[in-house]
Amino acid sequence: MKSATLEFDALAAAVGALPETALSASRQSALEQLRRRGMPGVREEDWKYTDVSTLVDITNTWLASGARVAAAAAAEPAAGIDADWFTIVNGQFDEAQLQTLPEGVTVERLSSNVSALPSLGRLGELNTALLHDGLKISVDKGVVLERPIGLLLFDQADDGASVSQVRVDIELAPSSSAAFIEHQVSGGDSDLYANVAIRLALGDNASADYVRIQDRGPQHSQTGYHGIELGCDARLRQASFDLGGKLVRDDLVVNIAHPGAEAEFGGLYLVGDGQHVDNHTRVDHRVGPAVSRQEYRGILAGKARGVWNGKAIVHEGADGTDAEQSNHNLLLSQSAEINAKPELEIYADDVKCSHGTTVGQLDENALYYLRTRGLDIDEARQALTRAFAHAIVGRSPIEQLEEFLLGEIDRRLRDLLREDVA
Amino acid sequence: MLQIKDIHASIGGSEILRGLSLDVAAGEVHAIMGPNGSGKSTLAQVVAGHSDYEVTAGSVTYKDIDLLELEPEERAREGIFLGFQYPVEIPGVNNAVLLRSALNAKRKHQGLEEIDAFEFLKLAKEKMAMLGMDPKFLNRGVNEGFSGGEKKRNEILQMAMLEPSLAILDETDSGLDIDALRAVAEGVNTLRSPDRAIVLVTHYQRLLDYVEPDQVHVLSEGRIVRSGDKSLALELEDKGYDWVREAANG
Ligand SMILES: Nc1ncnc2c1ncn2[C@@H]1O[C@H](COP(=O)(O)OP(=O)(O)OP(=O)(O)O)[C@@H](O)[C@H]1O
Ligand SMILES: [Mg+2]
Repeated sequence: MKSATLEFDALAAAVGALPETALSASRQSALEQLRRRGMPGVREEDWKYTDVSTLVDITNTWLASGARVAAAAAAEPAAGIDADWFTIVNGQFDEAQLQTLPEGVTVERLSSNVSALPSLGRLGELNTALLHDGLKISVDKGVVLERPIGLLLFDQADDGASVSQVRVDIELAPSSSAAFIEHQVSGGDSDLYANVAIRLALGDNASADYVRIQDRGPQHSQTGYHGIELGCDARLRQASFDLGGKLVRDDLVVNIAHPGAEAEFGGLYLVGDGQHVDNHTRVDHRVGPAVSRQEYRGILAGKARGVWNGKAIVHEGADGTDAEQSNHNLLLSQSAEINAKPELEIYADDVKCSHGTTVGQLDENALYYLRTRGLDIDEARQALTRAFAHAIVGRSPIEQLEEFLLGEIDRRLRDLLREDVA
Repeated sequence: MLQIKDIHASIGGSEILRGLSLDVAAGEVHAIMGPNGSGKSTLAQVVAGHSDYEVTAGSVTYKDIDLLELEPEERAREGIFLGFQYPVEIPGVNNAVLLRSALNAKRKHQGLEEIDAFEFLKLAKEKMAMLGMDPKFLNRGVNEGFSGGEKKRNEILQMAMLEPSLAILDETDSGLDIDALRAVAEGVNTLRSPDRAIVLVTHYQRLLDYVEPDQVHVLSEGRIVRSGDKSLALELEDKGYDWVREAANG
């Protein structure tokens, strides 16, 4: 199979047509980098199971049709979630919403804040090259935010292919604490490729709770990169929920270069027919003591395809590292597939590391037991899948999201269970 | 209430029940005893509807319904309850949620309204008090990490909540401390009524001290080889199973 290549001339024209800002130079150098490296291909170890050629096709189609950005559609944050929302629609955002801020928080356009923008991740150059503008969110020293900051990433894909880039850089000054909700959604029936890059840097003793909820439409694909830096004694608690999307890839990369840091993260992916969801994580333990714990769970139905790859690297001298990773998968059908791979590389002596991966089906004994109590087979299957999924909701750091998440998960599970019977 | 006629059942190709007949009338308590591997649990599972067991001949009738035609959940809703010899642990499925779903499934089948949360909790706590169970067990996963005795008590709690017409308790008395045994007996005796029937599978006489059976049967090699009144249980305790086997063969 020949991997698709980007139409660079069209891409260069699209980059050149973007409004001239302080980001222009970064765009051009990202474009040059991208021309050299190309898009990730399945021969690269980290992209072995996730073939982005359909995303390249969407991008080329979009470029060929003039690289239009759809008129901003109205996007409403999910009801019942209490947060200060920033809405980014088709990669663009409205200046006005930067005014209404909680105290101790600054939000700026990246174009007004940075001159050179380092790209994030393997698709970072594409992101930088085509970026209209990004957000920079800073939380001041010692500030403890009561209410989460919401990032509503919405795309409307109506006529023909759409492509969007989102970039958000978040910095938490020392001893500050904040929660973030990233809600990735989209509307419309056309092809969409959304490429999201987020940088989250925690100062010494800062703490961040972060929940990512991805519920894109069945025609909509997304790649995401979350690059996280932890200061001394900084603490990250993160959970992600992949409920929708067509081809979805997320990279969560945690860099621990200061002692005392703690990172707890994980996620749930519910994957049905026609979907491909890939969660890649990487933690670099460069110093100790520090803790990283991750637990991912997936439920796959129909011809779903899932990938989980958890890499933890304990670098030389990172003594006192405690790294734990686990991944559990429930396959509801014979044709669902999961590639689950824990990778521990340990170059230090005094470390505590563990990993566990399981792939299984619904427990027949448990199903039968529930049925002898009067639950019909659908209710019994729903009860077991729900229990499996809810374990991740229980780990999710932002408590007020619980009801919303449980509702969304139940809805999605009903679809998956129906799919499997069909 | 329950008529089992000359039933043959096999699992994984081997025949376990070989022409077993049993008649349990409403209002009665029957005890089934017999050596390990004789087919007692198989009988219980066949009545509850386990699909791994293939019934190759015979019939099972319950309240004039051909039971073998029904799915396990339909049998449950018709009022059959099986207390498992090995209750299944279901991590993450809340015990209270299961109890309530079970109760509502049955009520719905009976054309009754769902029980509301308040009434449910009141009822559950009442039954738990009777069984000497801490209400904390409501919020745990079904049998998740329960001790052997706690699992058995939890089975009885489900029975007490569901008030089945036919309860089959498969060695619910095994592995119980003396207080738990009394609690289980109390649960069974409370259920006992002219329109209900109870089948106790047991290895021990001691449960029968608390719950007096109308009939005692001995199962051996997939058949009932002897039936009698409660004195049969005492006699078995005294003489062991070889005695019945010999009597049956000779
Ligand atoms: N899957 C199977 N394949 C073959 N034989 C089986 C299978 N499952 C159960 N059996 C056999 O069926 C027989 C009856 O088992 P059953 O559990 O009904 O016995 P029991 O009378 O309840 O014994 P106990 O007193 O030990 O509980 C046993 O010999 C058992 O090994
Ligand atoms: Mg048994």
